[in-house]
Amino acid sequence: MRPKVIWLQGVTCNGNSHSFVNLPDIEDCLRRYDWLYHPVLPSSCTLDELSDKECDILVLEGGLKPGWRKGEFDLEKLFLRLAKRAKKVVAVGSCAVYGGVFREYDENITGVLFSGAQKTKHYKSLAQKTVNIPGCPAHPEWIAFALDAERVKLDTYNRPKELYAYTVHSGCMRNEYFEWKVDAEQFGTKEGCLYYRQGCQGPFTHGSCNKILWNETASKTRVGTPCFGCTEPDFPKRDLFATKTYMGIPATMPLGVPKRAYLTITGIAKSFHIPRLHKRLFDED
Amino acid sequence: MKIELIEKIEGEAFLDVSCRQGKVRDAYVRFPHYRGIEKILVGRDPLDALVINPRVCGICGHAHLQATVRTLEKLAGFEPNEKVKKIREITRFCEMVQNHIKWFYLVVFDRLGLTYDFRTVHVMIQKINMLAAIFSGQWPHSSYALPGGVTCDPSQLEILQAKRLVQSVREHFVLLVGAFDIKNLSKDLKRLYDRLEERDLLYTGKSLDRFITFGSDSYVQSSKILHGKVRPAKLHNIREFGQEKSHAKGVTYKGKFYETGPLARTMLRGDLFVKQLHRRYKDSITTRIFARIYEVGTLLKKIDEHLRTIDISEPSYTPLEIPDGETMSAIEAARGSLIHKVCIEKGKIAEYVIITPTQWNLSNAKNGESSIIKKALIGAQCEATDIIFRSFDICSVCTTH
Ligand code: SF4
Ligand code: SF4
Repeated sequence: MRPKVIWLQGVTCNGNSHSFVNLPDIEDCLRRYDWLYHPVLPSSCTLDELSDKECDILVLEGGLKPGWRKGEFDLEKLFLRLAKRAKKVVAVGSCAVYGGVFREYDENITGVLFSGAQKTKHYKSLAQKTVNIPGCPAHPEWIAFALDAERVKLDTYNRPKELYAYTVHSGCMRNEYFEWKVDAEQFGTKEGCLYYRQGCQGPFTHGSCNKILWNETASKTRVGTPCFGCTEPDFPKRDLFATKTYMGIPATMPLGVPKRAYLTITGIAKSFHIPRLHKRLFDED
Repeated sequence: MKIELIEKIEGEAFLDVSCRQGKVRDAYVRFPHYRGIEKILVGRDPLDALVINPRVCGICGHAHLQATVRTLEKLAGFEPNEKVKKIREITRFCEMVQNHIKWFYLVVFDRLGLTYDFRTVHVMIQKINMLAAIFSGQWPHSSYALPGGVTCDPSQLEILQAKRLVQSVREHFVLLVGAFDIKNLSKDLKRLYDRLEERDLLYTGKSLDRFITFGSDSYVQSSKILHGKVRPAKLHNIREFGQEKSHAKGVTYKGKFYETGPLARTMLRGDLFVKQLHRRYKDSITTRIFARIYEVGTLLKKIDEHLRTIDISEPSYTPLEIPDGETMSAIEAARGSLIHKVCIEKGKIAEYVIITPTQWNLSNAKNGESSIIKKALIGAQCEATDIIFRSFDICSVCTTH
């Protein structure tokens, strides 16, 4: 018997549904499970028919909000009824995990286990079976992994370590510039690191964006866009295109790095001027 | 009065319909969900809107990003160079193409009980998004365009990869749908036509036959058609109004309702294939559906042209200050014209207003003026309401933002 899957939507933009459609071997994924409901992909039920259904894997995309309607149902009630019987709950995207961007409009919007960084009232009953896949949106490969995963190691936000033990900084093409503290003077170039001025949150954001590339092709930092920290409970912070600094030093340190260690290393790195890193990459010699 | 829940339309909507003798007598559309995007923006740095606004919608976030960028650039009186324009159009057209292909097969074919080659359809979607990601880093939800340019700095290798992808999608597309030759339809276009004919739907869903487009780019120019005459369309004639029991606002141009989207664009461009259909079927679901899938071919060609002519040695970005002030601008999204309005005070967003394509097409009637959706539904067979509704490619999440 193939596991039955229901993909429900709460307060959402549908971005995770569309992100999931990008999965390269989606056909395999469609065959492997019995899809009772998905908002975009072919599935066997209508929303109304979900009232007396059960599923093995319940996916939630989008936040929970008291009184939010899903067709003729109350979303939260429908979600809890299905979750109770399900073997696994997968919260897909930062809204389902923490409440996400729409929480800024209404604090009553929460994720399944977390409301921002605080535990919700469902934590006790559901933490055991819930896998959190934050990201705005979540990467299709991460979602497929969560559907499949059994007994994976999770971090304190119930995120699989396999995906979120990395920082977005690992694997970024600009690492060399970071090491030698060469900043990108402005947007729109291949050269320079975006941590010092452009607001890149890669060094302190959990995620494998630069390991498992987006659309099999790229990532934000690979096309010169700073990481906005969308896998973390405080996404979206403010002033996203600028680095907050104290006396010229980035206010948030790379994950686990004490400020003193950072200052020592960067002090030394900066004292060497590496000409190659200050030129355009494809420049004529 | 019957309440129909219309689902799988990027969210949901309710359609209250009353029928008599199998025909629709009256119809009212309600959108249930509101997420407060415009409120979230207030007090933030203008550039934050580049991250927040794509989250209006998971399928057309790119259009929201670019509407934001153009509105802020307009405030600064800035026009980007050719390279930037081309890159932005490439990724936006990619988004439109993936949208239309999804809608054509996953919605229209599915609803009409037609089978399709899921694998090829999926390969096209995946590849066109991959093409966008070469420039935008990812699809959905990129913030790679910003006032002054784009963050990417593509190399020749990447342009070559992009060319291969667009070529491959074009080939798949032709194999699936055949040629856009009205006398000689074949493959999926023919199967669709035959199904509409079988179900006696060819002439159904005719509306007001008025079209409007506010975005201007290398594909279409802002204008409108009223009584068959083409005239310029001016943003300041737009008015929004609240609607009872719905979270969506209605919208008019000089007090009148207009249709926006692929049918409007192809009519304004004067694309022969669509004009020929229009001569026969007017603005029925037939013309509306075919216009949308026809647009895919033209957009793929445009992407290819841009990739061939782009000069990557031009700068990707020019530093730009955003001044205080108020302005609005429009961009063409998959479903039609998307309008953003901003007011900046003391360097922060004081007000933000978004008017989406679905608002144009799905406004309820007002002040005795019939609206696009109402006119399309009234008098139609009651069983046809679902497909008429979906022929507009509704986006509920955008509409209620
Ligand atoms: S751009 Fe960001 S992710 Fe890349 S090296 Fe710099 S800090 Fe790290
Ligand atoms: S790069 Fe950062 S902001 Fe972008 S998807 Fe990954 S974690 Fe989110």
